Amino acid sequence: MEKRDIELVRALQNEEIFLTERPFHEAASLLGWTVKEVLERVRALKEEGVIRRFGAALTPRNAGFKSNSMIAWDVVDTRAEEAGSLMSEHPRVSHCYIRPRFEGFPFNIYTMVHGSSPVDLARIIDELSVLAVSSSYRALHSLKEFKKSSPVYYPKALEPENA
Amino acid sequence: MHASIDGLDALILNRIQGDFPVSEDPYGDIGSALGVSGEEVLLRVKSLVERGVVRKVGPFFDARKMKYVSTLCALEVPEEKLEEVAAMISAYPQVTHNYLRAGSPNLWFTLIAESREAVARIISEIEKKGGVKPVRDLPAKKMFKVKVDLKVGE
Repeated sequence: MEKRDIELVRALQNEEIFLTERPFHEAASLLGWTVKEVLERVRALKEEGVIRRFGAALTPRNAGFKSNSMIAWDVVDTRAEEAGSLMSEHPRVSHCYIRPRFEGFPFNIYTMVHGSSPVDLARIIDELSVLAVSSSYRALHSLKEFKKSSPVYYPKALEPENA
Repeated sequence: MHASIDGLDALILNRIQGDFPVSEDPYGDIGSALGVSGEEVLLRVKSLVERGVVRKVGPFFDARKMKYVSTLCALEVPEEKLEEVAAMISAYPQVTHNYLRAGSPNLWFTLIAESREAVARIISEIEKKGGVKPVRDLPAKKMFKVKVDLKVGE
């Protein structure tokens, strides 16, 4: 990644700027760029997929989703891509990955699933089971959260432009 | 629906989850689309953050496109060592999520680092320091793009 983009990524990770009236003006002033330059480069990074999305992340539990779980599925390898693609389109699935199986753990597709209640969660799991064509899964309910944070890319203080 | 989220909150949430405007006046743009002022939208978003409904507003980067390597790890930790090992793992800045989960393995964490070598080095350090082996390294073979985020208020 080019030096200017790294500086932009660092500036955009100051999350507090997105709770001000003019977030991209704030980013521009951190960087010593014009707001036009910031907007153009942010749009380009979105286009390139470096920025997957721009938006808000919810804490599901506080947004009315009281029953959340990571569900790991055992899906025949030859069907895994298709099953993952179908499950990822379910509106209550927020993450969906194919991962390696391991000894004692035959599950290869991981989904994060969000329900409003235990009954709702069970209904969603049933629907996913149909999409996956598999009734072999494990609900990896979280029992305790030790850490939850956003990754920090290129961790380094912003250097003043004219230092 | 969550009691403290009203109709306008839900509209704003559903609008900004997937697509925060990249523009000179994003809050004004959201407001125009919803028939309220930009000031009102910003006040609502700030309140949603304060109430813990919104965890973050901003960019979500694709780690791979930035040449970072991420993985999910799982290990079995005996109950008497759980707090100690979990704290040791959480102390790595490269560890972003760390949960005790039902079943075996019971401890699951995500790791993101600058290279495959860095990931492997951290995993082997954790195995040594914690006396816990094996730590399963489960990098995504495929990540599916989810279409929409959680619709609030349905």
